[in-house]
Amino acid sequence: MSNRRTRRAAVTGIGVIAPNGLRPDAYWKSVSEGVPVLDRITREGCDHLPLRVAGEVRAFDAAAIVEDRFLVQTDRFSHFAMAAAALALDDAGLGSGDPAEPFSVGVVTAAGSGGGEFGQRELQKLWGQGSKFVGPYQSIAWFYAASTGQISIRGGFKGPCGVVASDEAGGLDSLAHAARAVRRGTGTMIVGAAEAPLAPYSMVCQLGYPELSTVDDPDRAYRPFTSGACGFVPAEGGAILVVEDEDRARERGAAVRATVAGHAATFTGASRWEESREGLARAIRGALDEAGCAPEEVDVVFADALGVPEADRAEALAIADALGAHGTRVPVTAPKTGIGRAHCAAPVLDTVAAVLALEHGQVPPTPNVLDVCHDLDLVTSRARPAELRTALVLSRGLMGSNAALVVRRGGESAR
Amino acid sequence: MITTEVTIDELAALMKKAAGITVDPQELKQAAESPFDSFGLDSLGLLGIVGELENRYGRSLPPDSERCRTPREFLDLVNSTLTAGA
Repeated sequence: MSNRRTRRAAVTGIGVIAPNGLRPDAYWKSVSEGVPVLDRITREGCDHLPLRVAGEVRAFDAAAIVEDRFLVQTDRFSHFAMAAAALALDDAGLGSGDPAEPFSVGVVTAAGSGGGEFGQRELQKLWGQGSKFVGPYQSIAWFYAASTGQISIRGGFKGPCGVVASDEAGGLDSLAHAARAVRRGTGTMIVGAAEAPLAPYSMVCQLGYPELSTVDDPDRAYRPFTSGACGFVPAEGGAILVVEDEDRARERGAAVRATVAGHAATFTGASRWEESREGLARAIRGALDEAGCAPEEVDVVFADALGVPEADRAEALAIADALGAHGTRVPVTAPKTGIGRAHCAAPVLDTVAAVLALEHGQVPPTPNVLDVCHDLDLVTSRARPAELRTALVLSRGLMGSNAALVVRRGGESAR
Repeated sequence: MITTEVTIDELAALMKKAAGITVDPQELKQAAESPFDSFGLDSLGLLGIVGELENRYGRSLPPDSERCRTPREFLDLVNSTLTAGA
């Protein structure tokens, strides 16, 4: 086929394992109603740490979803990823494995935290009992690439696989990577991120971030864009999407839920939030350019919303820099204030919220946030009905990555 | 007396513990000449089983033990090593 340039990446399946829902419909209900689920951390061995509030995935029963060998051989972050992948494949009507054309299905995930809980268990054996007591699966379970590998092994997917380790914004970069793979000829990509950073070792790793909120009141711990902004609250969970060639999806009768239209990424250095203004603005312009999208066409922005005053200011200014006067009129939202930031999975969960917002014609609100102190039309309190065709999703990482992704409503960009 | 013979039943239990593989001991016995991967056990899983046995018996097993292809081959090598050192 010589139509390589016209191949478009369509989202045909969504799977979510989030603090506020273990399915996309439950997630959307909570997100659209603006129900905050941040709470005191209850996971074992964490109560002596100064990080008190997070978005925990509480009702998740890994044993009900993944086979015993994955429970023994992989970490919780991979359990989330495998569960979300199964939901996404089911949603896309592709079943859970053994595809007819295994080489046409690839997997790409982003990860920033790795398998901290598994790693801690094995390291405790190392120092408690000796090196001979460390299990061999430690060699793969903690690793950033583990979820990609296990999803591909479990489903028998033999197409191009990869892992993006580019900071939190890597969640958006993974979607761009999948879209590129589809444009280059791969039939189907399974893409997204899941993180499990709420175990003692992983939490200690995060304590060094000056951006981390250690406020112990769940309603006040994460309030970006307000004068009470005091950092971000971490979360666990993730989302996986099925992205495939739009024509192929339509041929097989799959619903095209959205298209991945444009992406760009920049880097401006760790915790250099003032500089992130220019980096994020350039990422937005690059993503709009790739999508062939004018600033005025953006109907909703899903903000990074770090919750650090300097970073919030930089983001508000970046939106204004890139979208011009439209930047102060376009509805902006940050549903993650209700569930926390699941590191690389945060922008993927936002992308899912964006796709669902496009489908439902509703901009979800930003829980726990009132009295916005920036020149943004931040949607608060309740969802706002709107005719939505194009969403812009933003993400920044603590180590300095910035990314922007443009998604369009299914079928809208086909003309 | 302490037995130094690793049985099929124990191997099945070790496959479960070290790699999360559930296999019926009877089935393992009947298919003892089949390759480990036909039961879903990969090389890391076998390495984990070797480690468990080394810790249990407080001695090293030969390097070839983690390269055995079948349960029969593995048990023969392990048990001959343990018996020889008894």
